[in-house]
Amino acid sequence: MTLTMFTLNAFYGLALAMNMFIIASGLNLIFGVLRVINFAHGMFYMFGAYITFTVAKSWGAPFFVGVLAAAVALGLIAFAIERLLLRHLYDKEHLMQLLFTFALVLLMSDAAKMIWGTDQYSVGYPPGLGGAISLGFVAIPQYQLFLCAVGPLIAIAMWLLVDRTRWGRVVRAATQDREMLAALGVNVPMVYAAVFTIGSALAGVGGALAAPRIALVPGMDATIINECFIIVIIGGLGNLWGSFLGALAFGLVVQFGTVLAPDWQDVLPYLLMLVVLLIRPWGLLGRPETN
Amino acid sequence: MKCTAMLAAVGVLAAGAAAAQQPPIKIGVLYPLTGGGAVYGVPALAGHQLAIEELNAKGGILGRKIESIERDDKLNPAAASSTMKELITKDKVDIVLGGLASSVGLAMSEVSKQEKVVYISTIPKSIQITTDKLHKYVFRTSANTDQEGDTMAMLAGKNKLSKICHLQLDYAYGNDLEVGILKALPKYAPDAKIVLTLKPKLGATDFNPFIPQVMAAGCDGVLSGLWGPHFVSWVKQAAPLGFFNKIKWISGGEVGSHEIAGELKGEYPDNVISNTYELWYHANDPSHKEFQAKLAKKLNTQETPQWAALGYIGVMYAAAAMEKAKSTEADKVAEALEGLSIGTPVGKLTIDAKTHQANIGQFWGPMVKKSDRAYRMMEPAEYIQPK
Amino acid sequence: MPQRRHLVASAIVVLLLALLPLAGSRYAVDLTTEVLIYALFALSLNVIIGFTGNISFGHAAYFAIGGYACTILLTTYNWPLAASLPAAVVLAGLVAAVVGYFCVRLTQIYFAMLTLAFAMLVWGVAFKWKAVTGGDDGFTGIKLPAMLAHHVGYFYFTLAVVAVGVAALWVICHSAFGLTLVAIRENAVRAGFIGVDTRRMRWAAFTVAGTFGGLAGALFGMYHRGMYIENAYWTESANVLIMVLLGGIYSFVGPIFGAAALHLLQTFTNQYTPYWPTVLGLILLVIVLALPDGLIGLAARVKARRGRT
Repeated sequence: MTLTMFTLNAFYGLALAMNMFIIASGLNLIFGVLRVINFAHGMFYMFGAYITFTVAKSWGAPFFVGVLAAAVALGLIAFAIERLLLRHLYDKEHLMQLLFTFALVLLMSDAAKMIWGTDQYSVGYPPGLGGAISLGFVAIPQYQLFLCAVGPLIAIAMWLLVDRTRWGRVVRAATQDREMLAALGVNVPMVYAAVFTIGSALAGVGGALAAPRIALVPGMDATIINECFIIVIIGGLGNLWGSFLGALAFGLVVQFGTVLAPDWQDVLPYLLMLVVLLIRPWGLLGRPETN
Repeated sequence: MKCTAMLAAVGVLAAGAAAAQQPPIKIGVLYPLTGGGAVYGVPALAGHQLAIEELNAKGGILGRKIESIERDDKLNPAAASSTMKELITKDKVDIVLGGLASSVGLAMSEVSKQEKVVYISTIPKSIQITTDKLHKYVFRTSANTDQEGDTMAMLAGKNKLSKICHLQLDYAYGNDLEVGILKALPKYAPDAKIVLTLKPKLGATDFNPFIPQVMAAGCDGVLSGLWGPHFVSWVKQAAPLGFFNKIKWISGGEVGSHEIAGELKGEYPDNVISNTYELWYHANDPSHKEFQAKLAKKLNTQETPQWAALGYIGVMYAAAAMEKAKSTEADKVAEALEGLSIGTPVGKLTIDAKTHQANIGQFWGPMVKKSDRAYRMMEPAEYIQPK
Repeated sequence: MPQRRHLVASAIVVLLLALLPLAGSRYAVDLTTEVLIYALFALSLNVIIGFTGNISFGHAAYFAIGGYACTILLTTYNWPLAASLPAAVVLAGLVAAVVGYFCVRLTQIYFAMLTLAFAMLVWGVAFKWKAVTGGDDGFTGIKLPAMLAHHVGYFYFTLAVVAVGVAALWVICHSAFGLTLVAIRENAVRAGFIGVDTRRMRWAAFTVAGTFGGLAGALFGMYHRGMYIENAYWTESANVLIMVLLGGIYSFVGPIFGAAALHLLQTFTNQYTPYWPTVLGLILLVIVLALPDGLIGLAARVKARRGRT
């Protein structure tokens, strides 16, 4: 591999990692606090992409209005789901939540078919981000560069929110002991609702930002959910920077692995997870569960 | 004049009465209607329904009405196998049509063999269906990978490609198509050399591991089997780098269809030569106009999808075979299908008596910009039919 | 320990099922065969879930190994059924033992994800080892003994194998071993204090689950006269997991009801409408919200109510 190729692959790996991080960070937040294995997270991602298509392409609004619309719409959908349905399940057998999110996947996939039909769609690059930048020895696409910038920004924003605000302290406390938190007078149900809303909105943003570089088709939710879980797990559950690290590992392993060992590309993410879990059973930055 | 009209009316009434007395002919059909396959299954089913509506308006088959029993194959071979058995044992269908994925086509062929019910494969291209796994009751009205590969090799020769990058998806269709191309390439382009073969995975959305390799290989042309969303994702990720400026992209997988051109619009790249089963704006047979008009009305859009033609042709073949056999018995229908020629919206087709493969062709041509359209169109569109 | 009324009830169920072909509906016989196979599959998964408290996302691996091994030995190598079926089951059990050895070191979601990773490797092998498995074209054209080629013959064969399989699982789950597993599920730390080697017990449970999953897979492959990589994919693992959860994990028979309910719902909703996911989704939603213990919880509730009046 020449130095040029190496640089390019490293860059593309980063860009993939950042797009995946945005989606996975939402899943991590939800799992970390609510302990819900949300199968529907991939569906939220797909809805984010489709909503961006409707707003940016069908209605002709600027692309970033579409991204914002995806975030808001997914936040609203998630808030409604949490308040109307999911909250009734926290006190019940926690595996039933898994069944619940499976039902959500079925319902939302059909809803997407009713709203958008079964055609495949394409969203254009936002103006100014559809070309490539020449670095002299190599040209890289502007949009991927943009993704490399957005990922860390979202990571920092989430870190500030969770680690540096009072609300963030409440959220972290909720992961430890929600009874105690409730006894202290915190409105725990609203904390849960907010976490589910923010986490799902991030999936929507992830889908919206992925939209210009991929085809929008039914079924695009299917593999993304596994990949997000892999990132969250190898990073260490409930750990923001763990997810960031997990996404980086995922992006680089998938990019370089596909180039060097294309026969293995179907199982690369799973191999990565296998190796990480055998060496560090609680993920890269995770801690053993005390239970 | 009046007399003939009355006679005709009496005839219709009589036919109607006869149809009312006899039980309907049941046609079972499986297409993927949910998930990733729905992009193709839903329009194919629309064509299927159109054919049945047309036939019923003319009095059905053998004077009997047709009942269409439609199911989702869920793009899963085992589910398709169960559902097909259900159609045969519970609904007592006389014939089964459809399928999309190669594995689903092969699974349905297996049921057809066990249950001795005729199955017409309308979309799956797996060469095995009409070679190793061929049996008395299975027929195919779609193209196969050998035919598609042969045409792609021919186009490589015609466009004087010398250094070729070969791109196929790493699964049954891609691997079979690769075999088809490699078989035919020495015949059409003896001097061409394949300098790079890359195989992205089925369902890939990220082609960044491959695009730089192709750009660095210095080929003057790409032979590609990336279909549908794979092609779209490749275009979106490669176009910003000027990928399509110098490279000729010769592609199977029907990316010359209006479904892709109409969606990518201005983003559709230069230098693409591809194929499609049908084009709503182009006819090579007089009957196409009527077919397209009816389909446009049914789907409520002028720009109709190509997959509908495949669903439509499957039904037309089933009907013609039953009429010819004067029966719905599987053995007789299978015999009737062997060597059967019918007129279709894409011209006259014949099913080979030995291979059970219809000589369906595809339209091939460059995708060009049109001053009066937002999307590209295939022009000139050449209908290439296997010998 | 087996109570007499349980034995009597089971015998009656098997007997009634054995009478089914007399009803003359080929479709009913086929559908019941499918349900029986899924019931055994779901039941085998619940040895891990219900008895050790960990969920597996990768149970399809053993189902697929059993199915591929049995059909390949029958067809490619012309082994008799009496050899290929046991060989397939043993192979599934062996792979489960190897995978389980690594997986049981982890718990909860980490355990689940590791089972998924291993299962996807099995899927990858089925996909890429085209010369043997047929790759994604699937492995079709299975040769079956004449007796099993007829649907009624296959039904009785399935009924017999599943009945024996269920009985064996019942005995295992209600033995001292099964009770120890329940103790681990309820409180692993305390079980450890009283001298139970929890990891080893969970490993044994994992192996048992894989073995019986392989048996179900072998029945499945022969029934469909084909095995496909989709049956090793994570969606198949998710499907059987949903069956178990739907039925209820804290009861031995729960997964049987779950398997029957989900498979029949999937079949019937597809007959009814192309929008079957909406119908199925709504039904599941109601079940989840109204019956937090799964379908078996409903049975228990009805029983409790009857007991009161």
